[in-house]
Amino acid sequence: MSAYLIHLSILIGIYVILSTSLNLAMGFTGLLNLGHIAFFGVGAYTSAILTMAGVPFSVAFFLAGAFAVLFGVLLVLATRNLKGDYLGLATLGFGFVVYSVFLNWTGLTRGPLGIPGIPKPSLLTWAIQSNTEYLFFVLLVMALTLLLLWMLTSSPYGRVLEAVRDDEIAARVLGKNVSKLKCQAMGISAFFAGIAGSLFAHYITYIDPSSFFLSDIVLLLTIVMIGGLASLRGSVIATVIILLIPEALRFVHLPSSIIGPMRQMIYALLLIVILLYRPRGFSGHVDLA
Amino acid sequence: MIALQLLVNGLIAGSIYALIAAGFSLIYSVNRFMHFAHGAVVTVCAYLLYAFFAVLGLNFFLACVFTLISGALLGWLMHAVLYRPLRNRGGSNAVMLVTSIGLMIFLENLMLLIFGADVKTVGFLKVREGLHIAGVIVTPLQLVIIGASALLLFGLWFLLNKTNMGMVLRAVADDAELARISGIDANRVHTWSYMVGSGLAAFAAIFIALEQNIEPIMGTMLIVKGFTGAVIGGVTSVPGAVVGSYLLGIVENVGIWWLPSGWKDAIAFTLLFLFLLLKPSGIFGVNKGVRN
Repeated sequence: MSAYLIHLSILIGIYVILSTSLNLAMGFTGLLNLGHIAFFGVGAYTSAILTMAGVPFSVAFFLAGAFAVLFGVLLVLATRNLKGDYLGLATLGFGFVVYSVFLNWTGLTRGPLGIPGIPKPSLLTWAIQSNTEYLFFVLLVMALTLLLLWMLTSSPYGRVLEAVRDDEIAARVLGKNVSKLKCQAMGISAFFAGIAGSLFAHYITYIDPSSFFLSDIVLLLTIVMIGGLASLRGSVIATVIILLIPEALRFVHLPSSIIGPMRQMIYALLLIVILLYRPRGFSGHVDLA
Repeated sequence: MIALQLLVNGLIAGSIYALIAAGFSLIYSVNRFMHFAHGAVVTVCAYLLYAFFAVLGLNFFLACVFTLISGALLGWLMHAVLYRPLRNRGGSNAVMLVTSIGLMIFLENLMLLIFGADVKTVGFLKVREGLHIAGVIVTPLQLVIIGASALLLFGLWFLLNKTNMGMVLRAVADDAELARISGIDANRVHTWSYMVGSGLAAFAAIFIALEQNIEPIMGTMLIVKGFTGAVIGGVTSVPGAVVGSYLLGIVENVGIWWLPSGWKDAIAFTLLFLFLLLKPSGIFGVNKGVRN
């Protein structure tokens, strides 16, 4: 396999974790979360800063998830009275707040300069140096994530989450603690986004705030909407397709100053077209409410 | 004296935010959805002014007129091609919001593709030394911005409250179903709101293009500011949105007395987040339908 394909596969693996975890909150539980990329960023920065300070990767990796959980639970608690587009905007606002902290807390994050030289990870005795090894590691984490999310969503607990989405009052009448369920769903969703952030930071070895802003939110939304809400399989397939489409641009030898904007335009256009003509995506079960 | 200077700076920023927020709030109250791509309308109009004036070499005032017309047409186009079909298919507010974020990214990157990543300047006004008035330094342009914004916002108030068109706009904003039963062509009213709102955005674009550099991503910050102003005052109330925007401009500029200036945007984000959590209807807004 060429180096280029390995690189693409690693990114696809990371984005599969990101998009399926977003789907848990947005599709299964009905929380319109436009700030998912902030959890990704929190995970990336946590893991990068900790390992640079000498903390072993395996510890930093889980703390990246744990910090993201903390933010996720706080976000749900703060926004518990909001629904629909207002929740969407509050979560988007949360994403902006986190972004501006990355940008301005220069003592911790080095601001717009970003953090270079993030070490490649090593797990106990396994030092992950080559990209091929990294790919195996990412695929392992991805497989575990998918397994856990699949077990969760196909269990009775997953059906309770869907009940919260479909009819919150009815779920409450049946004695379900709705706000606790929302916290749990968002917490789990944030955890996986956080560890995806850690995987990203240690692969790219350089992070700066611009990786965690609006354009990546649109990419995630495009993937989840095209795959369909409340469909893990849809999100996985959509991630592969959506990340591969712009790669076709490489073969027509356009300069990178054109490829960058073109890629974003393709994502945005796909998002608009799918919402206009097939709002449930390819294998979605529910509408975005 | 520094306090007064910061206050005046806040007023200048607030004037621009108010133009954006007033259009956003008008579109929100008539159509009941968050038109996030409003920020990209400002960006597109600023680039159009640059194209008409600096690239094509038109007379500046003619270029402004063309920019305003294009802004209104862009508003009409977005409604006709995207928002109306979406609504007709029963798209929820969340779908409309996500679409509009997609549209914003699309337009921003289109500008990036056409005009490149480097900043552009219109360069109609020569850089001049500011006037010293009561110890405060302002440029003549900034005085024009403050005055013209106030005039435009008064014009909007007049349009909404003293004309037939304004009455119809308010009727649809208040109760679209009732307005339709009374024989008002709701679709036409929706179109008007987009054209008037986007026209105001074009005015804001002209002022911004004269004062600062133009860059593709500026729309995101501008809509966050305009939207924050609108949320502070109350998204459902156009005068509220205007007052909220001036407040935001002042808070932001006075705030950097204590914080490093890089935190200016963070102040807006934080205010936005806090208001959405604690008082989503804003200071002057009505609570109707806001929370679902």
